[in-house]
Amino acid sequence: MKLLHHDLHFLTGAYALDALEGPERERFEHHLHRCQSCSNEVRGLRETSTRLAFAVSMPPPPPMRERVLARASQTRQLPPVTEARHEVQVPLQPRARWMPRLAMGLAAAGLAVVIVLGVALAGTQHRLDVARAQENTVLAVLSARDARIVTASTNVGGSATVVVSSSLRRIVFTATGLPALPGNRVYQLWLMGPPETRSAGLLSQPSAGQTAPVLAGGLVSGDRVGVTVEPAGGTARPTTPPIVVIPLSE
Amino acid sequence: MRAPEPVPGPSRTGRENELDSLLARVARGDQSAFEVVYDQLAGPVYGLICKVLRDPAQSEEVAQEVLLEVWRRASRFDRAKGSAQTWVMMIAHRRAVDRVRSASAEAQRDQKNAAASVTIATDEVAETVEANLERERVRRCLATLTETQRESITLAYYGGYTYSQVAGLLDVALGTIKTRIRDGLIRMRDCMGVSW
Repeated sequence: MKLLHHDLHFLTGAYALDALEGPERERFEHHLHRCQSCSNEVRGLRETSTRLAFAVSMPPPPPMRERVLARASQTRQLPPVTEARHEVQVPLQPRARWMPRLAMGLAAAGLAVVIVLGVALAGTQHRLDVARAQENTVLAVLSARDARIVTASTNVGGSATVVVSSSLRRIVFTATGLPALPGNRVYQLWLMGPPETRSAGLLSQPSAGQTAPVLAGGLVSGDRVGVTVEPAGGTARPTTPPIVVIPLSE
Repeated sequence: MRAPEPVPGPSRTGRENELDSLLARVARGDQSAFEVVYDQLAGPVYGLICKVLRDPAQSEEVAQEVLLEVWRRASRFDRAKGSAQTWVMMIAHRRAVDRVRSASAEAQRDQKNAAASVTIATDEVAETVEANLERERVRRCLATLTETQRESITLAYYGGYTYSQVAGLLDVALGTIKTRIRDGLIRMRDCMGVSW
């Protein structure tokens, strides 16, 4: 834990320059809330980056001024935030309900943490809405009466965890400890059924070894879940042997 | 490692305070205050976005969105978290990198192109700095960094690359880039006497 904290602290510079992305940025933002020295440092480094912006100042095309001022005069402004914190707390309620049932398995998979971070730290309103909508579906799978957890090791190291609900015909997939891939390769998730193999999406770049949860639907009886390494952007059919195949039937 | 001597320069506190209170007036719908904010910040906003996007037409479009965002969100500015100018530049930089990273064509910029822009990016800093004292201070402070620190910071901030992309471009370990960017920025901060 010490090491992790230490590691995160070194990201202040990259964060101040907007050079952190995705789950890693969210993890760091989460950390910032609890680390006063980090947020002080980020503040100073952000002010420093502003100087870099002023150093490349350039007069904009003159007509832009009129356009911006005209549009501003016709644009309603946002009210100040008063109860923002309350809003973020809302998703905690449903989470509490599924916690007892799956808490242990999920904690082991690190899945709960990822979902919580995804929502609480989504940042902009749009990202928050998207994250919430997705979280609700993820929660539905996790809290389904027939939800089950299946975990398997991959043949390249690390492990994959699937939470499956047959009644909802959905799965939630996450993996930990997968080796990082070169920029032109991705991990792709598949539903491999007796009728056919369908793509179930791409895994995010692992952050601290953990991929963000992927939700996939349209499960049919006999489906297995597989992961392959594919060219960036993914493919329509697997082109390499799977690094893991997980049967879903009981 | 010895901390570099701060480069003497005019205190910006006056202008920063002025901008802080101007934004408070903008939040209350004061259009004349917004005009002053525009006149002070449109240049750095547009310049920064051009630096990242390179395409002037697209940069103008994004700069307009950013300045309108400043008008719209002025009530959300929290001076406890930083200065007004930094709040505005953060919006500008994030918008610019979002644009770069979301465009799939851009995402596929091949390593060759990117490597070519490394040289351009670092050269340009040196070319565009002569104009005013502020630029001169930034130049002098950038010069106190190691070559590799300067390169990493320039690629990340002006190039809009993530730190893992920077690591890929320079072919060094992630951890190395992480500390290079941080150490370099800290040195810049101390050199320019930024107090926050």
